[in-house]
Amino acid sequence: MKKLVSLVLTAVFAVSCCISLSGCQAQTAPATSGATSKAEETTAGSKESESEAKPAAGDFKVGAIYINSQNDTSGYTFAHHKGITEGMKQVGLDPSKDLYIVDNVPEDDEKVKQAIDQLAGDGCNIIFGISFGYINAMNEKATEYPDIIFSHATGYMSNEKNFNNYFGRIYQARFLAGIAAGYKSLAIKNDNIGYVSAWGTEYAETCSGINGFALGARSVNPNAKIHVYEISTWGDQEKERQAAQVLIDTYKCGVIGQHCDSAQPQIVANEKGVFGCGYNSDMTAEAPKAHLCAAIWNWSAYYATAMKAAMTDKGSFMTTVGNYYQGLNAGLVDVSPLSSNCEPETAEAIKIAKDLMISGKWDVFSGVKLVFSGKAGAVAVEQKNDALKDNQGAEKVAAGGASVGDDVIQGSMNYYVEGVTQVN
Amino acid sequence: MKKYHLVRRSGQSLARRLVYYLIGILISLGIGAVLLWSLGINPFEFYGRMLSIGMIGNKYAYKNVEGFLKILVPLLITSLALGLSFKMRFWNIGGEGEFLIGAISAAVVAFTVTGLPRPLTILLMCLAAMLSSGLLGLFVAFFKVKFNTNETLVTLMINYIMLYVITYLGKTKEDWNFFLDPKSARPIFGKFPEAAIMDGIKIGNFNLLWSVIIAVALIVFIYVYLKYTKHGYEISVVGDSSATAKYAGMKVGRIVMRTMFISSAMIGLAAGLTASSSGTISETVTNNVGWTGIVVAWLGKLSVPAIAVTSVLISILQFGCKTAATKYPSIDSNFADLLQGIILFSVLTADFCATFTLKKKEDAKNA
Repeated sequence: MKKLVSLVLTAVFAVSCCISLSGCQAQTAPATSGATSKAEETTAGSKESESEAKPAAGDFKVGAIYINSQNDTSGYTFAHHKGITEGMKQVGLDPSKDLYIVDNVPEDDEKVKQAIDQLAGDGCNIIFGISFGYINAMNEKATEYPDIIFSHATGYMSNEKNFNNYFGRIYQARFLAGIAAGYKSLAIKNDNIGYVSAWGTEYAETCSGINGFALGARSVNPNAKIHVYEISTWGDQEKERQAAQVLIDTYKCGVIGQHCDSAQPQIVANEKGVFGCGYNSDMTAEAPKAHLCAAIWNWSAYYATAMKAAMTDKGSFMTTVGNYYQGLNAGLVDVSPLSSNCEPETAEAIKIAKDLMISGKWDVFSGVKLVFSGKAGAVAVEQKNDALKDNQGAEKVAAGGASVGDDVIQGSMNYYVEGVTQVN
Repeated sequence: MKKYHLVRRSGQSLARRLVYYLIGILISLGIGAVLLWSLGINPFEFYGRMLSIGMIGNKYAYKNVEGFLKILVPLLITSLALGLSFKMRFWNIGGEGEFLIGAISAAVVAFTVTGLPRPLTILLMCLAAMLSSGLLGLFVAFFKVKFNTNETLVTLMINYIMLYVITYLGKTKEDWNFFLDPKSARPIFGKFPEAAIMDGIKIGNFNLLWSVIIAVALIVFIYVYLKYTKHGYEISVVGDSSATAKYAGMKVGRIVMRTMFISSAMIGLAAGLTASSSGTISETVTNNVGWTGIVVAWLGKLSVPAIAVTSVLISILQFGCKTAATKYPSIDSNFADLLQGIILFSVLTADFCATFTLKKKEDAKNA
């Protein structure tokens, strides 16, 4: 009898399946035929292909694999989703029709591969994977689907035809935020600056961010001390809060920088009457009395470029776009608009530093240090030859030397620069 | 409410049960349809995509069947294994932990044993997985039999211990840690050597993994084992009443330990097959089968054929909900989980209503 029960359960599923299938075909065939015409060549035959052909853009589909949900309202996935949808609009695609998303995909090869199979099956022409751990699965699948462009954020692998990686010089934006923090520390006569960081020297991404921020702060206030509190996770609101509290209460920090997902460090700064620099999005709304400016991503700069290249000629994607690593010059990273909490000199100094980096005349991790001086309206910068040293005093770049390589910034940087100490 | 109370229905009317299931599923799909409609999505299209596991209009539809089978096999084997221990009234909720230790052991073999032909490597991986998981199950059963420890608590805690073990292995970049990809600066699980990755029978483009065949064989084996062997009979007697079993001269302790070993070893086999077919391990390698398997085993009323069918349906539901959501940027996998939850809840409610009925107290006295 139990067997019968389960048999009938199957039948019920099968029947409802048929009902919904027939309903699907009756109701939606005209609407979807244009977009899925490629897929139907292999499955449904020529029945629907006679409907009017759409412009080329209508055939282009974008696939995305997210580590969290596209419905997040802040954080990493949110920033990328915003970038992809805005980028799609810039190149004439409709994110509500041409975008396929597999979300909440953990860094598990098998699950990433299945997500890629699904997106490939749905006819996506380019697939973006936003999390580091997708790397091996994407590398493997790029060979399996040579007609699809694979694009992987934060990774280091690529091939010559259809697989690239992309990331940005967020350390440049952090240097600018550091300038704002430096002026604030001078104004409140407190050299202690805190920094809530997901990770410390384990990851070049966090490490270069901390160093960039520290060099920015010390270009204004040479006595500034950066206290780093590592929370060992990319995002945990409670830990972010506690870290900020420790930095303010125990280490007497007057400005709180951060590299973690939520705005909690800024909110704590707001509660305790100190100041702070956020990350990922303008956090002035969350911390109106504390927030100075935030290092932000503008992912659409990359996504629009990549989609445009793939739409124009996917064969040359790896020569036109290639492995993408851009910064302020491409508008990929920036600082959010300065809030009214900033010191009057901040805007001028940031503009000077920004222009230097955009023009390519100077970069953060070189043997030349910027030294700002002067009051608002007459802020001047001196480019001083000064070795880049780690916090143990070891020289990393000789005085006047060129910037460390991109491979160091992205991959092997594992030291803090002068003035940085990790407190935990 | 005081006037009414729940009474188990007398007689098992199959027709009634089926009608209840049907109503339950239709109601849940209806609720889902309203939600979908409110989000501007055509529910028929969504359900079509869901129940066909995303194969409609798919360029590589066979890939979805492959993916579906990869989800089904571990769930099927784990549910069967859990059913085995539940039949004995041994509340093994440690499926996750047993699966994880199996996957870790299989990975140890995959990364360290080299130079053997593929079938032999995979066989070794599965044996290592079965042995480690089986011993873990035996360990729990031993304490249960010897000191009457609470197996629910012990197995539950084992889940967390094993989860932290695999997380530690996946996050610790050290020279001794052969689980990690040596080329990556960031810690990330490495890929197995070719000889440790399962292949299958090619049917056109479709690749039928050996694990599917093993799973089907296992259904038959467990069915026969429970129905026609002395061991199977002993399990059902112990489940009905261990006192009776003792009176009949059965060694209850031995039966419990043996069955738990077999049950956990099967979960280990599922883990070994999964690890080998994915070619790597991760913290999410279990895909929650240790938990879902409990639901499947009970929905299938611990009957082997019913468990097999239920695990197919649940896998369709899981895989289908997720793939259906892909097409609609406005809904994410949380919505897919929500829908799955609504459907499962309705089926369980229908099951409950088919088993019990509300009666007035006076009626109950008369009855």
